[in-house]
Formats: sequence, structure tokens, C-alpha cells
Amino acid sequence: MRNADFLLLCALLLAVAAACKSGPPVQFPPGTRVLWLAAADDVPTLDPAVGYDSASWAYEQAIFDTLVRYGDANVELQPDLALSWEISKDATRLTFHLRRDARFSNGRPVTGADVKYAIERVLKPSTRSQGAEYYRGIAGAADFVAGRARQVAGIELPDPYTIVFHLTGPDPIFIHKLTMPFAAAVPREVTEKWGEDFSHHAVGSGAFKLSQWISGQRLVLVRNPYYFAGGLPKLDAVVELTGVNEELQWLKYEAGEIDVSSVPSPEFPAVMKSPRLKALTIHNVTVTTNYLGMNCQMAPFTDVRVRRAFNYAIDKEKLLALLNGRGVVARGVLPPGLPGYTPDVTGYPYDPGRAQRLLEEAGVRKGFAPVLWMRADQTMLLLAQSVQQDLALVGVNLVLKPVAWGPLLDAVRQPHNTQMFMLAWEADFPDPENFLEVLFSKRQWRSNNDTFFYDPQVDRLMAEAAPIADLARRFELYREAERIIIGQAPWVFLYHPVNYLIRQPWVHDYVINPMRPTRLEKVWISPH
Amino acid sequence: MKRIGAMELIGLLMVLSLMVIAATAPLIAPHDPTRAVAPTYGEPAPPTRAFPLGTDELGRDVLSRIIYGARISLTVGVAGMLVTMTIGVAIGLAAGFFRGAVDVVLMRFTDVMLTLPALLLAMALVAVLSPGLVSILIVIGLVSWTTVARVVRAEAMSVSQRDFMLAARSLGASPVRLIARHLLPNVLPLIVVMAALSTSGTLLLDAALSFLGLGVPPPAPSWGRMIEEAELYFRVAPWLAAFPGLAIFYAVLGFNLFGYGYLRRQGR
Repeated sequence: MRNADFLLLCALLLAVAAACKSGPPVQFPPGTRVLWLAAADDVPTLDPAVGYDSASWAYEQAIFDTLVRYGDANVELQPDLALSWEISKDATRLTFHLRRDARFSNGRPVTGADVKYAIERVLKPSTRSQGAEYYRGIAGAADFVAGRARQVAGIELPDPYTIVFHLTGPDPIFIHKLTMPFAAAVPREVTEKWGEDFSHHAVGSGAFKLSQWISGQRLVLVRNPYYFAGGLPKLDAVVELTGVNEELQWLKYEAGEIDVSSVPSPEFPAVMKSPRLKALTIHNVTVTTNYLGMNCQMAPFTDVRVRRAFNYAIDKEKLLALLNGRGVVARGVLPPGLPGYTPDVTGYPYDPGRAQRLLEEAGVRKGFAPVLWMRADQTMLLLAQSVQQDLALVGVNLVLKPVAWGPLLDAVRQPHNTQMFMLAWEADFPDPENFLEVLFSKRQWRSNNDTFFYDPQVDRLMAEAAPIADLARRFELYREAERIIIGQAPWVFLYHPVNYLIRQPWVHDYVINPMRPTRLEKVWISPH
Repeated sequence: MKRIGAMELIGLLMVLSLMVIAATAPLIAPHDPTRAVAPTYGEPAPPTRAFPLGTDELGRDVLSRIIYGARISLTVGVAGMLVTMTIGVAIGLAAGFFRGAVDVVLMRFTDVMLTLPALLLAMALVAVLSPGLVSILIVIGLVSWTTVARVVRAEAMSVSQRDFMLAARSLGASPVRLIARHLLPNVLPLIVVMAALSTSGTLLLDAALSFLGLGVPPPAPSWGRMIEEAELYFRVAPWLAAFPGLAIFYAVLGFNLFGYGYLRRQGR
């Protein structure tokens, strides 16, 4: 037994060593321009109705097209399947004129009906799409969801290349909801053929098409010969190797086996000290807030004093030190860079004395041991231990519960289940609604409002703000809602991360978008 | 009885020294093992005069963590060994003494258990039971008793056939008395050896589980977990993994030297 264990350990280490050394397992003919990437986890899905995480979206947006999209490095609207569009003054009608040369990778032309079908598929309750919420404002969506109508009456197709959306009320940011992969054109004949397995047989009109996907090993995309934009994509193929953790990614990067890698914390200082490596880094302030949620329905977090105490007790600067300063301290919900963000929120400074007093007032006894749920990931564990150290100083014995990503998301959605959890939210579109409504409204209980926070005034302010197109007035209402949320402290506001990647010298035009994964169609590789 | 051998003595001293360190941890550890005590928060610091084994990225003193880690590792090692030995010795004695159907059933069951890879089985069990000191002990006991059972059975079989057993049996001694008064004392030397070796096996299994993130949860400083946490920093701060690795090496060596030394003294 003892020897067997020792041998097993040796085998494990050897396997790791072998994985570092062995070359990539896929072969391409010489001269093929391939971008090699790596990730720890498998891509969850390639079905645009299902995916709602950055890993899925990265490849969905390579395989599928939406009516409109964001720029490569910004969140300005750009034509994609639609060449032009008009929005009525009252923001209740949107008309899109589609390009006529778009084709799915099976050769069939893309029409407005494919977009309509895609949105109906997302809305259909049996799809269980988390994107459904975003399209409920289309006229007739309610009847369609309830099964009273066979199609959504508010999506009109005057001709195959024109699509008109009628909304039940004004929604000035509806067009942004059409940039999400949920609204990407999908070929009905293919989705109906494969049903739930469409993810593994994805067919879209994007720059790339799915070539091979072996779970836990690799995902291979190749260029879509029917892609409408001439000369794009500039790559012949993209390979993502899966099951490669951060540290291994770094070793593979150094060996020249992958083209773009994240920079693990321990290596970061050395990278920034080397002028050669530093010049190869790409960074961007992502529109993200990392937070520690406290379940407002579970004692003692029902008491706002306890929630505030935790905000005072945790030193966010220490977390940033563990991330080599790659981020800024969060003082509120909205990240800098998001329209509607205001720098004058004060948040909670680090003040353990005050935290202790608040805990005493609230009657929390010494040795209180709440459970913190978090992703089982080495960096997250490190941050959680820093939080654990801080809370120990005010007499709270935090218990850590690291779980896998999927189970964590399931767990936090159950009421009265997770006392505390560590998560992050990244903006889907540039508007405060995407943070405040999604994360704090009562409608989002059991979906994304995982602290089960409810404040009637906040809900009222957000309902009032949603249809307002005048940005100054709109943002003012959202700011008011955010102020109340900060005061009620359902989160410990932690930090807004800055994303760092490093590329090989032969990789060009790889840019980070603040709200979307990197688009790959313009990336190119010089001979090396 | 022969005089105690050098190997056994060194092993015994090594084990005793660990026990003293574990028992007096709060007195000899220079710092609190879970607090940030170094000013270099966010980056591991190499050994200095103030922190002879360096500090980790959370500003914790590695020496203090290793000293306190002795408590956890020895507790897990010894308690895990007790669980393992209890199950293994009970099954081995029963199979070896009763023979026949009892032996067949118990030993085939043991064979089935032996076909399951210990580490995989342990990982599955920990995942179900959720990591914690008690579940680790249960898991270690459940996956590592098989070897003990087989060895004890073989010894029990041979002892059972000796004349004094036959004599006791013909005097009408009950099976319980036979096992407790005659069989067990004669198998005991072997049990001591198995116990020592099983303790070191347990230490390694615990280290492997902790390394896989399934051991005693943080901030408890178990040696295996320290190595796991050091993995990320392996290239920039190798001392973070090296020192707890040496601690595990020392403990395993101590128990093994004692076990084999004792075995040699028994003349086997």
C-alpha cells in the first residue's frame, strides 16, 4: 500500500512532466496558420442558446454571428449580420437590414428568419436558456413563452433580409441585448436535427467552424469557407488544449507550444521586470466586479450590521497584493469603465475596529464560523485564505468550501443554502442595468441574485430607470439604487481585476475587449 | 530478547522527536501558523534570520507551519493507523483462526478491495464525505486495511497450527480466549511492525490527498497542503515545497526505520 501510494505519486509527477514535454497531439500540414491556446476547463457548451460564460462565448462568437456586434477593442456597436438599422424615437421598434452574402458553414444563406428562430429558441421554456430574460420585452414574447402563440408576434419579417422588433415598452438598451450570442443566427434544420446535442455539431455563419471537439483534450476550429468578410479569418485554424492549468499554460508558453497564455501570479513580477516579456503582455481593465456575497435570508447576515462589519473587516489591498496589484479596490457594485459608474461612492474602508464593534452590537459571538463557498482554484483559495486571516482578527472563523465551477453556480442559486460565496460578475453590455437589475432585483432570485437581496425601493428605482433613454436621468436613478445597495451591503465589494495575457512575438492583432472574449478573425501569425 | 538495534533506535528517536515537536508546538513555534507575520505580503520570501525557513505568499512563517503541521500529520498518521490496524487485524485474525468459509468470504472481499486503486477510492470517498479530519481518518482506514489483513491472516494461520494452540484448544478454551490469550500475543510483534509501516503509509496517503486539495481544509497547516499551495510558486519559491517535503520524508523515514529495525530484532 505504502509503495503503491509512493509509486502513484511518482506516476502523477511523471505524467505532469510528460505533459510538459510532449508536443501538441494534433497535426496540420506545413504552412497552416494555427493559433494554439490552452485552458484548464473544457468549454462548457457551443450552443449559443445555452452558454452564458466567457469560455463558451469566446468560441460561440467565432462560430456564430449576431445582427450587431461590438468593436474588437471597444463596446461600440458595429454591423455584423445587419448592415444598417433604425431605432424608433420611443425606443419600442428596431429595424435591421441584413447583408445578403452571409452563409452558414453548410452553405445555406442566412436570412432574418434564422435570427427570429434563434430568439424564439432562447425564449422557449424547454431550452431553459438563461438568456430568455433579455428578450421578454419583445411584443408577443409572453404569449409565446406561455404556449399561446406558435411564434413571437413582435418579431416581424417584411422580407427575408429585413427584421423588425416591436417591444412592449421602451428599452433603450435592447440593441445591446442583440450583441449577446443568445441572439446569434442558428440554422433551424441543424438545431432540430441534433436537439440538445447541437453544442457538439454547432453550425453558424461566423468566421470559423467547429472541426473537432474531444472533451478534456482539445477543441479545434477551422476557417469557414463561406464567411462573408473577404480575407477573414486570417488564421486557418484555432486549437484550444484543455486540462491545462495556469502553471502548465505558462510552461507551455515558455516552450513555444501555445501562442497566448495567462500570466500566473508567481511569474508576474519576473515578467514585468524583463523588457522583452513585458512588451509581449497585453492588458485591459475588464468591466468586472469580484465580490463576496452574503445570503441576506440566512442569519446572521439578515442583520445589515453583520454585512457591514464584514465589509470593514476585509482588507482588499491585501487581495490585490496577492494578485501583484492587477486590479483596483472596489468601493461599490459598478466597475470603472461601465457607463453610469461614479467615482464618488465611498464604499467601506478597512477598519477592523469598527467591524468588531458592529459584530458586538449585532450580538455575533466570538468563534462564529460561516461557510464560504468558492471555486476550487489555487488563486481563489489564496484569496479566500487572506479573507480568512482578516476575519480571524475580528473573531470570525471562516470555513472554506472549495467546489467545482458548475456545482458552485448550482449551489448559490438554492435558497438558504450558501451563507457566503465568492464570485465575480462581468458586464455583458455597457449599462448599469446589467449589474444592478441582474444581481439585486427580486425577479432574479434563484437565477443571478444569489444573495437573495430584496429592497423594495431599489426594485422601484430600477423599474423606473429601465425604460428611460435619457442617459443622465437613467444613470441618476441607477446611482441612487446603487447607493442603497452599498448601504445595505449584500456583498463585500472586493476588487475590479485587470486582465493580463502574454502572446508570442509571432502573434499579431490579438486584442482584449473590455466586455467580450477576444475575437479571433483578425488575429494573424507571422512565420516563425 | 535481543538488544535494540541502531536502525530501530534511530527510527524511534526520530519519531519521538516529532512527537515532542507536535506536543510543544505552541511553545516552540516562533509565530502563529495562520497569521500574516511577514511584511512581504503577496510574495513568498526566502529564508532569513527572522524567518529561517522563509515565508509564504500569505506572509505566514513556514517554520511555524511545519511545526504545527507535525500535530496534524502525526494525528492523522497515528489515528489513521489505528483505524487501519483495527479493521485489518480483526479481519486477518478472524480469517486466519476460523479458516474455511469465514476465511474464503473475508479474503475474497479483501481481494476485491485490493483491486480498487487506493488513491482513487480515497478521492471518491473524500468527495462524498467532504474534507475534514474525521472523514480523512475514515477514508484512510477504509482504503488501507487490506495489506494488514492479508499479512496478519498468514501469521495467524501459522500460529494457530502450533502445539500450544492445540494444547489450549484440547483443554477446551473458547475461541475468544484462544484468540485473545494465545493467538494475539504471538502475532503482536508483526502487528507492531505493520503499525509502524502503516503509519508512514498513512502519512503519505494524507500528503497525497492534501496535495490534491482533499485533505484537512485550510488554514490548518498540514504538510501535504503546504506542498499543494507551493505548487503555484514552485519555480520562484522552491523552498515553500522543499521544507514540508523534507518534513514528510523525515517522518516516513522515522517510522520505517523503527518498523524494519524492530522486524530485524524479531529475527524475521
